[in-house]
Amino acid sequence: MPRLGLLQRPQPVTPQAGPRGSGTSTFWIFSLGSAMLLLMSWLLPWFVRPTSSGVGYSPMDVVTSSPTGIGTILVYILAVTMLIMVLSPVLEIAYRLRKEATPRRFDTLRGIAAVIGLVSTVAVFVLARIMREEPLFGQIDSHSITDSAVWLTMAGYIIAAVTYGARQRVTHRPSLAFGAVALPFGLLLPLMFHQAPDFILWAAESLAVYMLLALGLNVVVGFAGLLDLGYAAFFAIGAYTCASLASPKHSIHLPLWVLIFLGAAVASMFGAVLGAPTLRLRGDYLAIVTLGFGEIIPDLATNNVGKLTGGPDGISSIDQPALGPIHFGTNKEWYYWSLLVVVIVVIILLRNLERSRMGRAWVALREDEVAAAATGINTTSTKLLAFAIGASISGIAGAFYGSIVTVVTPQDFNFSVSVSILSMIVLGGIGNITGVIVGSFALTFVIFWVLQNLNEWSGTLGQTINVPTLGNLNFSQYTYIVYGVTLILMMLLRPGGLIPSRARQIELKSGGEEESLAAVQGRA
Amino acid sequence: MSDETTASAARATAGAIGHGTLVDPRGLSARTDRAGTTRPAVVRTLAFLRKLYGLVQRYFPQFLIAGIAFAILKVYANGGLTLMGAQIKNALVLGAIYALVAIGYTMVYGIIELINFAHGDVFTLSGFYAFVIAGLSGGAIGSLATHSGIGLLLALLIIFPTTMVAAGFTGVVIERVAYRRLRDAPRLAPLITAIGVSFLLEGLMLVIFGADNRPTKLSSWITGRAVRVAGVDVNWKDIFVVATALGLMFSLGAFVRITTLGKAMRATAQDRSASLLSGINVNRTISATFFIGSALAAAGAIVYSINYDLIQWNLGYQLGIIAFTAAVLGGIGNIVGAGVGGFIIGVISVFGGQLAGGEWSNSLVFAILVIILTFRPVGLFGVDVTTRA
Amino acid sequence: MALMEINNMVKRFGGLMAVNDVSFAVDSREIVSMIGPNGAGKTTAFNCITGLYPITTGDVLFDGRSITGQPPHRITRLGIARTFQNIRLFSFMTALDNVMVGAHSWMSAHVWDSVIKSPRARADERRVTDRAHDLLDQLGLSRYAGAYARELPYGLQRRLEIARALATQPRILLLDEPAAGLNPQEKKELMALISRLREEGLTIFLIEHDMRVVMEISDRIVVLDHGVKITEGRPLEVRNNPQVIEAYLGHGAAERMADA
Repeated sequence: MPRLGLLQRPQPVTPQAGPRGSGTSTFWIFSLGSAMLLLMSWLLPWFVRPTSSGVGYSPMDVVTSSPTGIGTILVYILAVTMLIMVLSPVLEIAYRLRKEATPRRFDTLRGIAAVIGLVSTVAVFVLARIMREEPLFGQIDSHSITDSAVWLTMAGYIIAAVTYGARQRVTHRPSLAFGAVALPFGLLLPLMFHQAPDFILWAAESLAVYMLLALGLNVVVGFAGLLDLGYAAFFAIGAYTCASLASPKHSIHLPLWVLIFLGAAVASMFGAVLGAPTLRLRGDYLAIVTLGFGEIIPDLATNNVGKLTGGPDGISSIDQPALGPIHFGTNKEWYYWSLLVVVIVVIILLRNLERSRMGRAWVALREDEVAAAATGINTTSTKLLAFAIGASISGIAGAFYGSIVTVVTPQDFNFSVSVSILSMIVLGGIGNITGVIVGSFALTFVIFWVLQNLNEWSGTLGQTINVPTLGNLNFSQYTYIVYGVTLILMMLLRPGGLIPSRARQIELKSGGEEESLAAVQGRA
Repeated sequence: MSDETTASAARATAGAIGHGTLVDPRGLSARTDRAGTTRPAVVRTLAFLRKLYGLVQRYFPQFLIAGIAFAILKVYANGGLTLMGAQIKNALVLGAIYALVAIGYTMVYGIIELINFAHGDVFTLSGFYAFVIAGLSGGAIGSLATHSGIGLLLALLIIFPTTMVAAGFTGVVIERVAYRRLRDAPRLAPLITAIGVSFLLEGLMLVIFGADNRPTKLSSWITGRAVRVAGVDVNWKDIFVVATALGLMFSLGAFVRITTLGKAMRATAQDRSASLLSGINVNRTISATFFIGSALAAAGAIVYSINYDLIQWNLGYQLGIIAFTAAVLGGIGNIVGAGVGGFIIGVISVFGGQLAGGEWSNSLVFAILVIILTFRPVGLFGVDVTTRA
Repeated sequence: MALMEINNMVKRFGGLMAVNDVSFAVDSREIVSMIGPNGAGKTTAFNCITGLYPITTGDVLFDGRSITGQPPHRITRLGIARTFQNIRLFSFMTALDNVMVGAHSWMSAHVWDSVIKSPRARADERRVTDRAHDLLDQLGLSRYAGAYARELPYGLQRRLEIARALATQPRILLLDEPAAGLNPQEKKELMALISRLREEGLTIFLIEHDMRVVMEISDRIVVLDHGVKITEGRPLEVRNNPQVIEAYLGHGAAERMADA
């Protein structure tokens, strides 16, 4: 058999220099993140409880309690290392502006400083909280629960240590580094902020739920390339399914753990059914049709179709589960932790899917529908599967959402919800799971935490500096502007998102004309 | 990554099928059609659905006309001639506004294949422009308009050009800032940006003008009854709205047909790169398209305020989508079609809303949108003028 | 028995008869070329066979059974693979992934297997990866396995498209102008490749403009002009058919042919 001796030997391709862009942005997110966390660890006690000083156990408390002996040394070490970490991004920016690489020795230095800081935080924590060495730190209210700031400080140092100590790995394996940092942070989050119950509520109700939604939408938009503008409809379907089956409305009380699967199943069914009419459409028309469905579904709920949905008031007093003695309604952090488990499972499953036969088929479909069909991919079932899987994840999110807030109304699922989820994946990086996590974290933090609290803060500030108009500003009205600006700026300046997947980055900048199979076949 | 090593590793783990051959021997044997034999029920259902789809697609205009005729007759049966007449009047007024907005969608889509999602919000913003302009110097224009006939004419001559020019420049700025850089990007990128612009505009209007309905006080400008036909009061206002819309549409038609710029627009819509080669300033042509589209939306917003006397920050979202539906119905890219589509959608939403009940009007509009896009994305007249596929 | 049989195929676009009552057959392990001037309807015929265009009237038989009206992916699964005239690779997928997409239809893992990464999915994935590396290796593309398809030089992109088609486990391979844009050396390699594929048992049906390639490798040639089949036969017969020379090559080309 001829071994194709004629074939010329191709020149080797230059070794791919790794997805450099995404790695550096991960580095920046880490760097800024650790600086912010450490800064917050000082400021937070004032924010969440203005009289915190002396009540909790934050670095601030340590300072105000005038430590002695080894305590003083520890506090000084803390102060110095924190200052280094907080100023680090400034140093990075300075080097960046001069277009120079930051010297390696600075990285090592900062890595060591972060580790020292972490060790001394643990030491302070152990000395003061566990061994109760009050002579070292002066008068400290000992019956206080562990202060969030301590956990914040630790998380900040861990991230800083990873960022600077393992800078090479961060830039070359961003996803791995991200997982290594995000997981402990995610687990500790309720502990860090346990003195701020509304923050934990935020973490469960907004962060975790929206992260799930964004992950689901990412399957449809990111993997399969189908722009779904009515994604909130499936969220609504999941939420209403579970609300109907776990509330006095129809006197059915199923446990949440069953409803998760039920919600996912019902939502995915609707995903396939509502996806079916869009299959032959061009990308932009598909977007508008899904938008239409996204408006019709909540409208059906408003009009109380079949007396099932309770009309504009929705369904209220939805059951909240209990796990042994822990009642989720009073311990919202358990919602957060269960959602965290769900999110992690979903992420693992989606990553599997992304790197499988189906994941490749989706990318192929996104790139060239005609060639994909000619290569043996069933375009219909592949698209429907994307819709169904995406919808099922939002069904899960809906089940949790109903259970957390105990009341679902049609207004919770309007167009702006769909756009907010879209903004999250656009911000983080369409098609990239890590990016989606970052995007949903950043946007939910700004929209559902910062903006909600800005009202109160500006009111306080207005009183303090005697400018009462500050108190009248309604910052939650700014959400639309935040979404709008996010979408515009990201698409214009960084279409791949903060953490782009390598292919999508180039794809979005220089895509060609896409043509659908149906158009080629003359059927659309 | 070292492909060589992976490849040789693959070779080492031999036993793989067809190894060393390009043709997989397993593929050469005859095979049965799995899907055709194992799931006959599904296949049959699908075939039926496909046939139904084809049928609806083919006779869509007939179905639509039959549906509209039925709705009108039903209204006649329910409320007699007066109700039907009043609703036809309402439908024409609403349709005129939809048509004015729809033209903006259709022109922009025709020329850069973008669903300008922000167009509806440009409409709202123009309404606020008119609101602000009418309220300038203590509402001088308003009192001028209500003072006398000539005063009204003067007021209209002030408010229409100023608002339309302001809106036109808004449209041009939006295109320049948000869309131009993405002109050669894949279709979904500018669409996402357009949604962003829409949200930004809505957010700004929400912050500046508040969440509630703002009465514009323009409704007092034109008053009185013109004629009474079959028990239906036709007011001067109604006539003014429809006449303005028709007048503007005909002027636009003439403009596109006669002027150089209009010809350049049509050429650019047909083939952008060829137009560029033949010396047309494509950027300026596209800017002009945005200017005209936005100016017409502003005219729509003024007649809307004159007729309904209110404006609200998120008014444009739904109205924009309805107008887009009208543009699709008339065949996107087709200016005359957009005008006709606007009036048809006006009839559908008024009579449909009358029959189905007000709480369903929202769903009705979106259902029409879904149905049109699904079954007849090329529009009623069936010629897709823009797509190259 | 003929492996593929086209009976009275008609494809009409509005008023244009792109393919007009064309019939021919391709036997198993044969190399058949379709030639004809630009716009003769060759690519349209290809698209009709592979299900990209619905056929207006007529019938396509594959292995004795009608495949008319089947969707493209099912036709591919039956064993008809193709390449495109203007290369249609998945530009932002690696060369390896492009070939692995080709294997999509014969992978046995279900979605849920992939989701939980079951042993079945892993085995499946391993087999397909091996096969894809094997194909790339044999076609001299293994150095590019990790590169995006669009980063490959033009000639290699054509070859990668053939690799992708081969990964679908075809019985017949449809090549749409495989030699277009190749240099003489690459054309030689292409001819060697086609012969080798036939030796290994594949049937080949190709559209080609390069007469040297067509004459050298074809067993039979089908000539199309304005959607109508003018003639078909062995290369020598077609070459000397005055009708073909007249319609396809035009005046004066006969002498050039003689020189060649």
